[in-house]
Amino acid sequence: MPDQDKEKSTPILLQSDGTPAPKSAAGPEESQHFYGEPLVGLDHTELNGNLIVIEGMDGSGRSTQIALLQEWLESEGFAVQTSGLRRSNLVGKDIDQLLAKNAVTRLTLALMYATDFFDQLEHRIVPALRSGAVVLADRFIFTLIARGVVRGINRDYLAGLYAMALRPNLTFWLNVRPETAFAREFKKAQAISYWEAGRDMSLSHDLYWSFVRYQTMIKREFEIMAKKNSFIELDGEASVSAVNKQLRQRIGEQLGIRLAKYTPSAALAHLWR
Amino acid sequence: MTNYAQNLDLNPIADSVETQEPVLKTPRGEAGKTTLPQPGRPVPSRAYPGALIVVEGTDGSGKSTQLYLLKRWLEIGGYRLHFTEWNSSPLVKSATRRGKQKRLLTPTTFSLLHASDFADRCERQIMPLLQGDYLVLADRYVYTAFARDAARGCSHRWLRNLYRFAPVPDITFYFRAPLDVAVHRILSGRPKLKYYEAGMDLGLSYERAESFRLFQGRILEEYDKMVDTDNFVVLDGTLPVNKLQKQMRDIVASKIDLKRFAPGAPEAE
Repeated sequence: MPDQDKEKSTPILLQSDGTPAPKSAAGPEESQHFYGEPLVGLDHTELNGNLIVIEGMDGSGRSTQIALLQEWLESEGFAVQTSGLRRSNLVGKDIDQLLAKNAVTRLTLALMYATDFFDQLEHRIVPALRSGAVVLADRFIFTLIARGVVRGINRDYLAGLYAMALRPNLTFWLNVRPETAFAREFKKAQAISYWEAGRDMSLSHDLYWSFVRYQTMIKREFEIMAKKNSFIELDGEASVSAVNKQLRQRIGEQLGIRLAKYTPSAALAHLWR
Repeated sequence: MTNYAQNLDLNPIADSVETQEPVLKTPRGEAGKTTLPQPGRPVPSRAYPGALIVVEGTDGSGKSTQLYLLKRWLEIGGYRLHFTEWNSSPLVKSATRRGKQKRLLTPTTFSLLHASDFADRCERQIMPLLQGDYLVLADRYVYTAFARDAARGCSHRWLRNLYRFAPVPDITFYFRAPLDVAVHRILSGRPKLKYYEAGMDLGLSYERAESFRLFQGRILEEYDKMVDTDNFVVLDGTLPVNKLQKQMRDIVASKIDLKRFAPGAPEAE
């Protein structure tokens, strides 16, 4: 294929920053609901629920906020479904094993995560949205794309891979400094895992620097995606209650909930620091 | 040159992360730009010294028998070779088995699991061995996914993108047998067809044999569409085994410089 052919090659599904290609490339209707093309066999008009995504690095407070939001939404009378990485019935446990054995190469791992994502999308997220529930997604395609890109997998490839992902109604990004995240993660487990620190990437023999460098690279990818995917960026270093208030405000607007005061139940009170 | 990525411009693997020092200063624009081994295209066959021979065709087309005989011929001759089979990576095996047994698979996840399997074999065997100057023989390759997953409803564009990391074969043999012949070969030798094998997930028919027939018909159509675009060498799967094998060996000998893989031949640098 001569070089000049490259210029006029078939348009790539998604632009390099993970945003949809111009409407001419994807069907105009498809692009409102998906990133490029529809999921096989899905009628998007059946989806009545709300998909709310919380993104952010390890130690950004995602899981804490999701636990609180679930309780708040349920108290407001909304059915809630959650999803998150490696939680699929199909391959969730297999990925855990691959990670533990550390015998997996980057593309294989990226594709296993994609399998895990689509299994949850089709078997957990879509059915919940059909029944009008609120889905709280603890991370979404953005983390998966960022992790792939920093490992040298082409952005367009990953964007094409996730072309059938549903577009969230709201995407929050809890942004924290890697240094803060390190401290929080370390406090949680008294250790930092191999993958959290991106040690497969040989960035540094020093665990702390490996973590900080890796998470900085991921963060940079998020900055690129944030603009084009209308992320709602929140300061993840603020107190749990302050972040939670902002989340409830935006989600309340989306769902038409009059903002009532919320304090966690005794079961979750320990999270409210 | 065959280009099954159909001008989907870039190979997905960029090696800038490993090669650029220090990593934190990697300019943004380049992280996804540099590719291995040649930027801007699918891996062309000349990017590595080895050679890749692939067989494709519907179930019952005779392709595995023929590849086995080709492999025996080369093995007996002492050639440096590696044989790899579709859906055989131990890493992904348990997930595939579970997915099939519990019928958890949708067209999308069925496709992704097989892509994971292929990626594992590609990254750990096929690519390194091609780089290490081996003759690699593959029983089914990405075209199986293109045909089968498209028959299940996955979009061609998505599938072509999904597999664009795969090296393009030097020869792709397509064993073409009429639907009735291929279906008969399978049904007469196998009392019970498996659920996904018969394409039962597509809801084409309640009857397994009939579903299998309809599914195989769709796959055959998809294969036929690729003959020109993907440079298939079409062989008549109804010919006697030894005749077919003679044709196959002649084509291999004419298209591939086998001496390079012969015993005692120096490995390419």
